[in-house]
Amino acid sequence: MTDFRESIPKKILDWQATGKDMVYDRKTLFDYMDGGAEVYLAFDFKEAFVRKYQDPAKEEIALDIYDMGSPEEAFGIFSCDRQDPGVGIGQESEYGPGLLRFHQGRYFVSITAAGDEKKAEKAILELGKAVAPLLGPPGARPALLGCLPETGLKKDRTSYFHSAVNLNNRFYLAGDNILNLDARTDCVFAEYEAGGAEAGNLLIIRYPDENRAQAAYRFFNKAYLPPNAAAGAAQAEDRTWTVARVRTNFVAIVFKAPMKDDAERLHSAVRYPRK
Amino acid sequence: MKYTLTRRDLLRGAAAAVLGTAVGFPQESTAPAKKSRVILIRHKDALDENSQFNEKVIQQMLDEAVMKLLDQSDPVAAFRRLVKPEDVVGIKSNVWSYLPTPPEVEKAVKRRLLDAGVKEESIAIDDHTVRTNPIFVKSTALFNVRPLRTHYLAGMSGCIKNYIMFDVSQPDHHPDSCASLGSLFHLSQVKGKTRLNILCVLTPQYYGRGPHNFSRRYVWNYKGLIVGQDVVAVDTIGLRLLMAKRRIELGPAQEIPPVPKHIQLADTKYEIGTSDLNKIELIKLGWPDEILI
Repeated sequence: MTDFRESIPKKILDWQATGKDMVYDRKTLFDYMDGGAEVYLAFDFKEAFVRKYQDPAKEEIALDIYDMGSPEEAFGIFSCDRQDPGVGIGQESEYGPGLLRFHQGRYFVSITAAGDEKKAEKAILELGKAVAPLLGPPGARPALLGCLPETGLKKDRTSYFHSAVNLNNRFYLAGDNILNLDARTDCVFAEYEAGGAEAGNLLIIRYPDENRAQAAYRFFNKAYLPPNAAAGAAQAEDRTWTVARVRTNFVAIVFKAPMKDDAERLHSAVRYPRK
Repeated sequence: MKYTLTRRDLLRGAAAAVLGTAVGFPQESTAPAKKSRVILIRHKDALDENSQFNEKVIQQMLDEAVMKLLDQSDPVAAFRRLVKPEDVVGIKSNVWSYLPTPPEVEKAVKRRLLDAGVKEESIAIDDHTVRTNPIFVKSTALFNVRPLRTHYLAGMSGCIKNYIMFDVSQPDHHPDSCASLGSLFHLSQVKGKTRLNILCVLTPQYYGRGPHNFSRRYVWNYKGLIVGQDVVAVDTIGLRLLMAKRRIELGPAQEIPPVPKHIQLADTKYEIGTSDLNKIELIKLGWPDEILI
């Protein structure tokens, strides 16, 4: 990360860099962000560069640049917490009051206001625009996204991750890790719509091997679905359908489908990679 | 085998059954038992129109809460029930930059400790260096004071989690949704010393985003304090408040922050208090608007 640090502007509008620039690695990230570090460590996070800026009234904004190891991982951390409209910075971005997030190449960037968000907005966006070109060319998105059926897919609500902590913060499933997710599993979680209405959520998990996928499928059925459910399918308490399927080293689960047929249709449209 | 709270449990409203009774509603109890008293006090002027804390009002809120908690009619007399003049007192605060313990609350506690006869040099306010702070090292009494907020792993940061800095390693408590936090109260530097827990719900945070799990848009001016001697009971009430706000703002599917199991385990495994609402006497004082619980 050293090559571009010196190019990051030390002054943006009337906001001046303050204090010492800090760098955190996998061991020290907890010093910076408390338990939230686990969310980053669940990805292939390498290190974070942090610089604070102050305006004359001592309001503060924080620039965080995370080297996530690869463009896929940078997309992943960006995609797990996306709610606001894009602002055209980096490969993909979003801005909501006091928080700019974007990814570019193998880097994920967040710029946060600690105080008055409105006052900081212009400086946050200007800083983002100044930093993005320093981070190198755009990178590829995770290949696993290619498994998602395109019809009805809400692209800006699609997430890529590995671990249960990310799944639960994105879509609460269970207090226990009932799908046996870890750093070696790749997951995409997507939302679908049809005719302007919610049409279900799709979780696809790629396990390192078929045995793990089969075991996770069986465990999910036992832990999540009611005992009398037909294999891998059940109507949940809100009348929507949950349908799970296993194929080679993949497990795919549709949640919240309005009808069982909707869930089956989504399943059948999953584009599993050819061996 | 029953696994911990699943999405389906939430959908059928069975959260209480799965999280013990930590998040349920009280039912008639057949056997009389001593309950953990928890005070929820609110004041509409605790923050001014610019969201600045009102020190005078906060002092008044703390005084009223502690008097009611201990059935005393004078705040200094109430604090004399909590400390002796010879006590060495650590006020365990929280310095998290986005939502720290308000200095006005720290000052209110300290003021009453001094009034109760504790020497100035025997009082310290600290967070990250409590393990080495000389006052905390030789403390005979602890006051546990922090704001309420959600947390990526623990589901909720409350008074139980506030003691994590007393342990050598904080990450050691992160596995399994921070399930082991209740064990902190058995550390030798802590055990048996906590006299009062004050969960600041002046500006609680019901949802988190961004690298620090913070965005001001999810903070609201609730203008309250939750006060009690049973840390688990205090956090149980805090969790109910967070859930009530999340249900309104985020919907039933996100009512429970994933997943605050440490509160129930602090009761059932570590036995440091009660998460059973049947065993908690919640007394509400002051401003009733949008009280939520």
